[in-house]
Amino acid sequence: MIEVNQLVKIYSGKRVVDGVSFHVSEGEVFGLLGPNGAGKTTTMEMVEGLRTPDGGEITIGGFNGLKELGKVKELIGIQLQSTALFDHLTVAEIIRLYGSFYKNMRPLSELLAAFDLEEKKKSLVKHLSGGQKQRLAIAIAVVHDPKVIFLDEPTTGLDPKARRDLWDIVLQLRDEGRTVFLSTHYMEEAEQLCDRVAIMDSGNVIALDSPAGLIRELASDSVIEFVPGKMEASSTYQGLVGVKEVKRAEDDSVTLLTTHLQETLRELIALADEKELTLAGLRTRTSTLEDVFLTRTGKRLTES
Amino acid sequence: MRAYWQLTWAQLLLFARNKNMIIWSFFLPILMMLALGTFMGNGGTQFSMTVAVDDRDHSTYSKQLTTIIDETAGIKVKRLDEKKALQAVKKGDVNIFIRLDEGLGSRLESKKPHPKGEKEPIQLYLDKSNPTVSQIGTTVINQAVDQLNKKAMDYHPIVKVAEHNVQSRPLRTIDFLVPGILSLMIMSNNLNGVAATIASWRERGILRRMQGTPLKSSTFIAGQITARVLLNSLQAVAVLLVAYFIYDVKVYGSWLLLLMIVLLGTLTFMSIGFIIASLSRTPETAGPIAGLISFPMIFVGGIFFPVRDLPGLLQPIVKAIPIGYLTEGLRGVMNEGASLSQLGIPVVVLTAWFFVAFVIASVTFRWDVK
Repeated sequence: MIEVNQLVKIYSGKRVVDGVSFHVSEGEVFGLLGPNGAGKTTTMEMVEGLRTPDGGEITIGGFNGLKELGKVKELIGIQLQSTALFDHLTVAEIIRLYGSFYKNMRPLSELLAAFDLEEKKKSLVKHLSGGQKQRLAIAIAVVHDPKVIFLDEPTTGLDPKARRDLWDIVLQLRDEGRTVFLSTHYMEEAEQLCDRVAIMDSGNVIALDSPAGLIRELASDSVIEFVPGKMEASSTYQGLVGVKEVKRAEDDSVTLLTTHLQETLRELIALADEKELTLAGLRTRTSTLEDVFLTRTGKRLTES
Repeated sequence: MRAYWQLTWAQLLLFARNKNMIIWSFFLPILMMLALGTFMGNGGTQFSMTVAVDDRDHSTYSKQLTTIIDETAGIKVKRLDEKKALQAVKKGDVNIFIRLDEGLGSRLESKKPHPKGEKEPIQLYLDKSNPTVSQIGTTVINQAVDQLNKKAMDYHPIVKVAEHNVQSRPLRTIDFLVPGILSLMIMSNNLNGVAATIASWRERGILRRMQGTPLKSSTFIAGQITARVLLNSLQAVAVLLVAYFIYDVKVYGSWLLLLMIVLLGTLTFMSIGFIIASLSRTPETAGPIAGLISFPMIFVGGIFFPVRDLPGLLQPIVKAIPIGYLTEGLRGVMNEGASLSQLGIPVVVLTAWFFVAFVIASVTFRWDVK
């Protein structure tokens, strides 16, 4: 559905998007995952036709994403990061206004029902809550029944309940047969929603696969985290049974990625006794996309 | 087409729901008119002058002369001695001082021409730095003296003149001010209003969201124009109705032509507003830039006083900018009942300004901040 090839964007000499390529299949939920400033929004906005790339090619639904913008725009629906709408129009007025920009518009009542906005129909935009505003932003993104929907960090700034509601909406959009292209910096969101994820860092796609596939590539399924109390060389832990990867964060915590959780733990405790380490905050968990990012970049996805 | 109507309607709703806008753009011109109309008074064209008289003759003739002057419309007589009177003239409390010297009555009674070399019995003191007052004052007093002379000679005119008033449209200050206020309103609503609104919508990303739809910028601009033209026509009619019912200010020309000039002014100043919005990076700079452009226009646009009263140095500038032509056009239709052909110059200049500004506005229009 979407084909992106060697996309480049340069701002004041800096390559904020540096040769990004990927494809999005019809009917899938595709995610761009990465920290703030990785180039996710710039990439999305180039694909949406809002920014002109300094290099590369974009194809959407068979149309040239640079030259056939008119056709592309009828095909896609977009929700920008913090969509700004007219504060003094009501929900129904906003939907009608944006609907008028397209050849076809879905019935107002259908959209209000789909996004749980029936009661807010006559409320001014400025009186809506964060979650309601975001649902309205997505309602106007699908006002013309588009095949492809772009959601730029749709849950940023929402409370947990509103975030869950939005996840349901994304899955609903997918079930309706639409292609969803979203960006997020929450790894949990990418794992829950996306069929495939492209991990971005510093303007590059550093990994691209299904969330399960990415975790599988780690060749380790478990993670051990602790704060050792005193500094030890990474090689000290590298020698433990099953350890594939040792990461040390700035807060002195150590992360071990292992294929054999039990054995590694047993050896780690023995090691701690021998070297008089504390193992404060010791915990284990299964690997996540967070660990994929940590392994690939040496950085954490979300600043903790 | 649906997008155009929806955008126009949305903008009208936004106008109606913006209380600040209503207060500023609807009531301000009306309040301004009421304030100026009250301070300047209805009798803006009425002439008033104070004349100090020092009668040293105390004859029937000198008293008659004082009465004639006092009875002249717009002139008030004060009796002061010479010293006080001269001070008052210098201070500006009194416009003219007349000293009627001893011997005025006896001279008139003698019915002989004024002998050469003899001192004139009437002495006039005035401040020539105020040419209007001194000219009118001299004329009025000379007429009074003339009348007295004729009476003393028992003179009967051979040929008489009958006066007929043909000026059916007496121009009062308020008649002059109302078109000026309309012009000011059109300029500030559109130039400042558009610049601030569009720059703020761009900054907030409202325009970018629209850019993501098939909406064309020309449709967006057309919707804005239509909504603002409707709003300005409504405001103009409101101001004119208030002016008519309170001050009896009439529109002598065609209402259609008046609205056409309102439309031209709106289009011109909106286009300039769009250019300012595009050139300024943030809404914080758009406001001051628009203010910097519109504020001087208030003084050189013939809004509160005629353009011809401005110093010659400013005349080339005044002739180059659109505000003076808008005021001239509105004033022409309202005060003089001018027809379209009589307003050729203002209409052509405004149209030219609109076209040039519109082209620049469309070329520089940006949905996006960067």
